[in-house]
Amino acid sequence: MFIDVGCYQLKKYNQNAFGDDFVSKREKSGKILAVLSDGLGSGIKANILSTMTSTMLLKFMQRDVPIREAAEIMMNSLPICQVRKISYATFSGVDVDAEGQVRVVEEGNPSFVWIKDNQLQEPEFSQISSPSFPDRHLNIYEFKALLGDRLIFCSDGVTQAGMGEKDYPLGWTRENMIEFVLKTVQNEPSIASADLAKKIVERALKCEKNEQAQDDISCAVMFFRQPRKALVFTGPPYEKQKDAEYSRQLAMFNGKKAICGGTTANLVSRELKKTVITEANANMGTLPPVSYMEGIDLVTEGILTLTRALEYLEQGRLKVSDAAGVLVDFLLSSDQIEFMVGAMLNQAHYDPALPIEIEIRRNIIKKMQKVLENKYYKSVTIHYV
Amino acid sequence: MKKVKLQVCNGTTCFVMGGADMQNMVDQLMVKFKDCLEIERVRCLNACSLSDNFAKAPYANIDGQLVGNANFQTITKIIEEKLSND
Ligand code: FES
Repeated sequence: MFIDVGCYQLKKYNQNAFGDDFVSKREKSGKILAVLSDGLGSGIKANILSTMTSTMLLKFMQRDVPIREAAEIMMNSLPICQVRKISYATFSGVDVDAEGQVRVVEEGNPSFVWIKDNQLQEPEFSQISSPSFPDRHLNIYEFKALLGDRLIFCSDGVTQAGMGEKDYPLGWTRENMIEFVLKTVQNEPSIASADLAKKIVERALKCEKNEQAQDDISCAVMFFRQPRKALVFTGPPYEKQKDAEYSRQLAMFNGKKAICGGTTANLVSRELKKTVITEANANMGTLPPVSYMEGIDLVTEGILTLTRALEYLEQGRLKVSDAAGVLVDFLLSSDQIEFMVGAMLNQAHYDPALPIEIEIRRNIIKKMQKVLENKYYKSVTIHYV
Repeated sequence: MKKVKLQVCNGTTCFVMGGADMQNMVDQLMVKFKDCLEIERVRCLNACSLSDNFAKAPYANIDGQLVGNANFQTITKIIEEKLSND
């Protein structure tokens, strides 16, 4: 089972910083931790409160600190707002292990939504209150999620969107959000978490006057599903005798396959006896164009395309139509990505006469792993061949 | 009608060394030679990694003949030669 985590956020209109913060971490054990926090107010002040809260809670959860203790420490250490004389950030923390055992703690945020078989579940919870902040209560849930389940977390910017408007005296409300989610999931049963989160936030924004967010609006989704696997073969293997073996591995791989690198494509083509075709008038922009090979989902040039794709991933530019954009699409529509990186250096790339600096493949892939894991919550493995 | 086959290298080295302008070149060549020319884009022709040949990228291959410093002029010249050869 793979847990697809996705988040989408909007800032309050006219603010330059997010007042909500979402962090998520995939542990080596297969465990997933995530925190959504909403800081008091909006803008920078709220941003600091929420970021401190989410970062601390995530660290505490990583170290298995008992939640009551963790919450006390957090509430005591947040800076106090000079105007309102209080310090405040609400939070939802979730911790899921590889078997789907879920633990959620909530304080102040709208209760999360659990959907199974397209139906709303009402999990039981226990409540504890804080000795030093008697009006703050923590709700704690424990349950087991199964394949196909979804968990949805949001800040009150979603449920209260449009509050006070004629059509939404109480805001969009959690009930309406649930109805919207059920309908969306019914139409698109396999919708990815990032897309669902985006749809929810965009729908909430529609409730706001002039579609200008009156509060920070954030939504995070977890979807328990069969993992979508992908293998990227890039760079010729160190030992030439192994070309055949790795080409076969690629051909037999159970999932989507990509080749990034001309030399790599040539060797696979030779070993598998499949031709690579590039359309003569393929649109290329400033990168060599995408090619095709039977049985392989995507073939691109190597270093330049990878470098550019890394840039897009880091900058969040996800809708570009050149070869790097196609590669980004390929990566983001997978959950478990494996990079098979050939260790042979292409001497030509490191010739001092080359007018641009080309980074070593290994560095690019390492950086790519980082951004895919930390920003897009993918599970990535690299092995060198 | 005689036909010439042109392979244009889209490998990393060639691309960086000027192959990025190949799109233009390919378009112009198609207009100029129309049906007498078959164009294919290929990955590294393995010419760039031969010791001193690096600086001659971008490469093209015309009916089996490897051509360095490929651009509209050099390629047009060779294609014309090949077409008029018989
Ligand atoms: S990249 Fe063109 S010959 Fe190597």
